[in-house]
Amino acid sequence: MSQWLAHVIERAAAVDDWLSPVRAEALAKLKEQSWPGRRTEAWRYTSLHAVEDLSLPTESNAEAEAPAIKGLDAIDLVFVDGRLTSDLAALNLPEGLTIRSLTDKSDIAEQVFTQVKPSHHLFGLVNDVLATQGIVIDVAPNATIERPIRVVNFATDNVESHTRVLVSLGENAKATVIEHGSGTGHSLNTAFAEYDIADNARLEHYRFALHQGEAIHVGGSHFKLANKSRLNSTLIGYGSQLTRLDVDIIHAGEHAHAKFNNAYLLAPKEHFDLHSTIEHAMPNGTTEENARGIIGDKAKAVFNGRIHIHRDAQKTLAELNNRNLLLSRGAQINTKPELEIYADDVQCAHGATVAEIDEEALYYLLTRGIDKQKALVMLNFGFVQEMVFDMPNEALAEWLQPILKQRFEDMMERS
Amino acid sequence: MLTIKDLHARVEEKTIIKGLNLEIKPGEVHAIMGPNGAGKSTLGYVLSGRDGYEVEQGEVTFNGANLLDMEVEERAQAGLFLAFQYPVEIPGVSNMEFMKESVNAMRKARGEDELSSAEFLKMAKEACKQVNLPLDFLKRGVNEGFSGGEKKRNEIMQLIMLKPKLAILDESDSGLDVDALQVVANGVNSQRDGERSFIVVTHYQRLLDFIEPDYVHILAQGKIVKSGGPELAKEVEASGYAWLGQADEGEKA
Repeated sequence: MSQWLAHVIERAAAVDDWLSPVRAEALAKLKEQSWPGRRTEAWRYTSLHAVEDLSLPTESNAEAEAPAIKGLDAIDLVFVDGRLTSDLAALNLPEGLTIRSLTDKSDIAEQVFTQVKPSHHLFGLVNDVLATQGIVIDVAPNATIERPIRVVNFATDNVESHTRVLVSLGENAKATVIEHGSGTGHSLNTAFAEYDIADNARLEHYRFALHQGEAIHVGGSHFKLANKSRLNSTLIGYGSQLTRLDVDIIHAGEHAHAKFNNAYLLAPKEHFDLHSTIEHAMPNGTTEENARGIIGDKAKAVFNGRIHIHRDAQKTLAELNNRNLLLSRGAQINTKPELEIYADDVQCAHGATVAEIDEEALYYLLTRGIDKQKALVMLNFGFVQEMVFDMPNEALAEWLQPILKQRFEDMMERS
Repeated sequence: MLTIKDLHARVEEKTIIKGLNLEIKPGEVHAIMGPNGAGKSTLGYVLSGRDGYEVEQGEVTFNGANLLDMEVEERAQAGLFLAFQYPVEIPGVSNMEFMKESVNAMRKARGEDELSSAEFLKMAKEACKQVNLPLDFLKRGVNEGFSGGEKKRNEIMQLIMLKPKLAILDESDSGLDVDALQVVANGVNSQRDGERSFIVVTHYQRLLDFIEPDYVHILAQGKIVKSGGPELAKEVEASGYAWLGQADEGEKA
């Protein structure tokens, strides 16, 4: 048993709010979980050694402001070390959008909390019992919210924090939600988000897990898609001491479409682990997932991409590809495709590769006088940058592109 | 500018160029015409130094230097430009970063200062306008999702920005309607300055109505079988390639 987890369970008993009955169920499940080791499938390639006996303060007085992004006019909600620092009452919200704190009782929170996220995620359960601070975003049926809603989540130094985001999109609603997390100090942050997307609704989603250095970040984004709903999600991750993300996309209705692009760039010695699960429970759904990674020296990436097509999910079309680029012999990727198909009339493709250079593209760049070394850098970074170019929000893409490029160039130098 | 003597070259095991001779002086425009399978595209690839295109014998001198000894990027830096028939798509690299890198590589090779971002952008915008491409195309991936015509215009835009000494245009007319053809031709003609030389490779005479060549060569079975002035292109237009006595096969490469 981990001392840290034992302490979590102790602390959970002291949490008392309107969600306590639901938290109690999660706590019961948490108590049944054993501490993951190398034989635990979900944690096979990711050691939790850094968390096992971790003991950090659970409060801080740190202040921080949401980083401005040129051209992005977002509704910003800010967590600093688990504290919601934004004044929700002062927000000037468009019609059809309601934002509440998780501390306030609401039907929406009750409908979404623990109802989308599968209960097998260990840290998800930890978040269930400890995340008293959270944001509840409610988009009314037929509402189109033009301004992106950005949840900024800072982890500073020497602190443990737990944050939660709950989102409900009513029928025909349309919104953009950005989960923007970062941290460089020695910290542990768990951040889980649940999205309940009703019939015909459209969600544009971003998760930036830009944690570095000693930061430990464990979280997840979980989506439930009703009939004819659409999800377009992009996840960009660094490694940090330990970053572990779980994404579940559940096709709970027919004719839903999900696109999930993700890219991870690991500086030397960083660790990044992404487990994605696509559940096709209903017929006629489509999913396209593109996962791209660049891994620096002595860094380790884990990608586990599971597609589960249930017996009734006929006419499903699901594609997942994972490409990785190792910058040195000391870089490591553990990529594992998992396909479980129980329906017979489906199209499903799954590929995982360690990337090779496209010779034709290289030749083209060389004929334009670009040095081979530089051309290789452009092409190598290009295959991650493709995920940035594919982001529907131009301001976000333009903000992210030079940041990732700089990180990549630093990685090249140090690998 | 360019002297090709008795060039023989092969792709994999097949010899495609079989004893080609050509002399191009500064400012000249040479059209190379010929049936499919004659080796027209192969010539461009061999001159640019593409992997897999092996020179068996002969020599190529470019402004006094042995071209065949140079790497692909060195040939480009020395002023050789190839406009591709089928330009490749590179989705993760933006036109902007690609062109900036390329323009500055050429400037560096010529001993000029690199352009600042603002200077580059100004130049790129002008070139975009000249070939009638929308500005937002600079932000997109290289050739990503471009139509055939847009790809061709992008090649010409690069020609305008890179200012090579010798440009080889490989079927820059294929797949273009008359309007697009005119844009391509105008772009090329704007770069004719009496110093810059061109090799215009084409199957049809049509392009040569817009880009008037000084010389026309007929390439068949790997060598130049006939040379003449612009009137030779008209003959080809009238009589086709049947007089060469070979089938018009699908072109390799």
